[in-house]
Amino acid sequence: MKPQPPKHALKFFRWFCREDYLEELEGDLTEVFYKKYAASPGKARREFTWSIIKYFRPGFIKSFKSTHNNSFAMYKNHLKISWRSLLRQKMYSVIKVGGLALGLAACFLISLFILDELRYDSHYANYERIYRVVGVFNDNGNMSREVWFPAPFAPALKQDYPEVELSGRYNASALFGAGTAQVRKDGDIENSFEEGIVYFDQSLLEIFSLPMVYGDLTTALKEPGTIVITQQIAEKYFPGEDPTGKLLIVNDKDTEPYKIGGVVSDFLPTSHIQFDFLITMTGREFFEGEQSTWDASNYPTYVLLRPGTDAKALAEKMMKGIVEKYYLPAMLATGQMSEKDIREMMGHAHLELQPVTDIYLDSDVGDSLQHGDMRFIWLFGTIAIFILIIACINFINLSTAKSANRAKEVGLRKVVGSFRGNIITQFLTESFLFSFLSCVIAVAVAVLLLPYFNMLSGKSIVLPWTEWQLMPILFIVVLTVGILAGLYPAFYLSSFKPIQVLKGDLSRGSKSSSMRSTLVVFQFTTSIVLIVSTFIIHRQMDYILNKELGFEKDQVLLVQGAGTLGGQINTFKKELLQLPQVKYTSVSDYLPIRNTKRNGNSFWKEGRTKEDKGIGGQIWRVDHDYIQTMGMEIVEGRNFNVQMATDSQAVIVNQTMAKKLGLQVPVGQRITNGWEIRNIIGVVKDFHFESLKENIQPLCLAIGNSPEIVSVKTSSTDMHGTLEAVAKVWKKLVPHQPFRYTFLDQRYAAMYDDVRRMERIFTSFAVFAILVACLGLFALSAYMVEQRGKEISIRLVLGASMNSIFHLLTGNFIKLVVVSFIIATPLAWYIMQKWLEGYVYRTAIGLDVFILSGAIAILIALLTVSYQSVRAALVKPVEKLRSE
Amino acid sequence: MKDHSLGEFEELVLLMVAALHHDAYGVSILENLEQHLRKKLNISAVHVALKRMEDKGFVKSKFGGITEERGGRRKKFYVLTALGKRVLDYQYSLRTSLYNQIPKIAFHS
Repeated sequence: MKPQPPKHALKFFRWFCREDYLEELEGDLTEVFYKKYAASPGKARREFTWSIIKYFRPGFIKSFKSTHNNSFAMYKNHLKISWRSLLRQKMYSVIKVGGLALGLAACFLISLFILDELRYDSHYANYERIYRVVGVFNDNGNMSREVWFPAPFAPALKQDYPEVELSGRYNASALFGAGTAQVRKDGDIENSFEEGIVYFDQSLLEIFSLPMVYGDLTTALKEPGTIVITQQIAEKYFPGEDPTGKLLIVNDKDTEPYKIGGVVSDFLPTSHIQFDFLITMTGREFFEGEQSTWDASNYPTYVLLRPGTDAKALAEKMMKGIVEKYYLPAMLATGQMSEKDIREMMGHAHLELQPVTDIYLDSDVGDSLQHGDMRFIWLFGTIAIFILIIACINFINLSTAKSANRAKEVGLRKVVGSFRGNIITQFLTESFLFSFLSCVIAVAVAVLLLPYFNMLSGKSIVLPWTEWQLMPILFIVVLTVGILAGLYPAFYLSSFKPIQVLKGDLSRGSKSSSMRSTLVVFQFTTSIVLIVSTFIIHRQMDYILNKELGFEKDQVLLVQGAGTLGGQINTFKKELLQLPQVKYTSVSDYLPIRNTKRNGNSFWKEGRTKEDKGIGGQIWRVDHDYIQTMGMEIVEGRNFNVQMATDSQAVIVNQTMAKKLGLQVPVGQRITNGWEIRNIIGVVKDFHFESLKENIQPLCLAIGNSPEIVSVKTSSTDMHGTLEAVAKVWKKLVPHQPFRYTFLDQRYAAMYDDVRRMERIFTSFAVFAILVACLGLFALSAYMVEQRGKEISIRLVLGASMNSIFHLLTGNFIKLVVVSFIIATPLAWYIMQKWLEGYVYRTAIGLDVFILSGAIAILIALLTVSYQSVRAALVKPVEKLRSE
Repeated sequence: MKDHSLGEFEELVLLMVAALHHDAYGVSILENLEQHLRKKLNISAVHVALKRMEDKGFVKSKFGGITEERGGRRKKFYVLTALGKRVLDYQYSLRTSLYNQIPKIAFHS
């Protein structure tokens, strides 16, 4: 038998080769094959195949154009039909596209928000290697995580561990003069009040490799007495010049001006630390021996690890080493604890190296920084997806409901020879067209709403036009939404049997009505949950603002920066009291609102220091008028008295402190914090001084000096006049210092900005959701009226009242909303209960909230549906019935 | 002769078509070229060159009779056209004239 050339290769060749070449080429190939075959059959086969592969090139491949042409025409036809059906039913199309666009716009905004939250701190050059050191303390299963470490901790890390390339710390504590200050440039007279002041290590500057506008990153903070400012501050004090080497005077200390070592560009909004004045730590010691003591922990500490270091293993190594080498000797030296106790205590603690990119979203750490909340991100993400689903449901509902209109088309296509696959392709094309249009509109809507959304979320998001990922992502969104919304209708519509459809036998769209009902119920359940949540958050905010706090926050003016008055502070107080509008004044930096001074102490009953565990609490330095000014209430004993000199050693405790110390009759008892003993002269009623999320903690008030803030209780409602009068007194005493003030109630409300923000965001999204759901309901009701037009007319002719027609048409929809309400109630209750559990002091979830929400949902649904129903009932029967 | 570009391999194939006269078809061209150049060639390379030159009008082709060794498929014979001949002449004269311009002195030392 004659040998045959490789069969598959030949088959392939015949498939792709131009027909006019085929005979010649095949002949030549075969001839060569036979000639070679005699020498080596295998080689001949291989060469034959190889030659064929080499023919696979333009010029030899036959034209496949004819088949391309056909399917392209098909798609063109699909698009044309889609466009026509879009135009034919304008109202439904607008609702379909509009609903999808609204849903997508909400999704876009939320996605931008989430991306922004996740992007924090990824802009540093070496961000994968930057870690913050976190101390974790396990107090009987109660984990607390803190970032404060002793001053020598950071240098020790770098010195003892070669894996650590750089270590650095900052100190932003008001106790050491960071935070806020009066600043002027050398040679000026007027001070300005500035915030964002911090003590900063040169090495920390290098760890973050902050971009420098002027000066050198490696030396900017090297010298003692240097300061680095941000660009924004440089523009303010030295517009248009390089301020390096110039002097700034902080808090009027002319004798120690700060030399500007450089200017960094402003901290990005997506940075977890936000400062404006970085004062060098070089050569600074806040008290005798402070830089070498292991007793005082005041410094958040960062490390830059060498590439390839295992952070987890290193943290463990550090824990052991640092405790053995530094902590243990230091604590033994104080003589308060035995070595065994110390080891036992340290056994409950360990170190953690936290990647810098994790800091922002980890709100579990006590670090006095602004944090995002991972739970918010999940919550928002869920809301976004739900809104999108609602929008897709509209699309599905309307497509299947209007199916009768397309049924004939489908039937005819099938008769003419269309496969089911073709028809599915056609309807998917249609839904892609819709989702493309929606996407375009959604981007426009998102651009329009972005400023408003930024206001809501307290962010400064811009649309990422320049990012190359944007277009592919939008494309994927169009595809996904197209498939999500179009798949079910495509399969449903393409399943019609031509013979039934063309006979007119189709029960017009009623087949899937249970499916539609389910989807409507889903939409309204989501909407009602959002409405209920909005109400409950609003209630909680109301509760927070109107709660009995134990002090009176209204009509209290806070004059800040009063430290500059120095010895004149008493004159200031006296002159203020002369004003008719002023009732009381008090000097104290310790106020029952966030971001005022705090401290930590342990307290014991006198003589029980050794026996008991101390009660953690604060001791606030106040003056004699504090309790009147704040409107606090003494429940036992008496207030401080100027006449009694011994009151300087006295203390007023709050009820919690008295209870925790186990004092039955507190007045007259003596308490100690370890180094001073104080006499209790009174008990003040518990007042809230931290967030309502927490329980009231033990606290006591003592006479002391803390002169930065003067609180002024006014009796007048004319705040404007009062302010002017107070400012006049201020200007008389210190003409060159800016007069700054806030109001106690505003500062209090600001503590709950996150709740207010959440309330606003929920309101917006609830509106979004209900709007989209109503669009769908509106279209469905319009469709139903259209369907039953003849029936209604006949009913009217036979004597049905308007009323009964209205009931007939709306009843069904209302039933659906009621069902949604029944499902939504427990769901919303559970979710909001979880949220409220975050607050120790919270409002109760009343039945009224649910009733109100349900009523609103039903009312909105009724309004939506009734427009169409009333229109249907008002139509003259003859109009509908004359053409049959 | 600007538009009548001719690649190096194409020129060889064209010369071979001319040399073989009425006996030039794929396999004969391939075998003769392999023999003269003393290297292995792939049949597809010859076909690519032939088809290109046919498009340019340097050669024309016609089918011959059926032969057994090709599995019953006809041969396609190629012959040089008048244009093809002119192209070859032009190439030859161009090379010769350039060759003659080589200064003889350069290689004497």
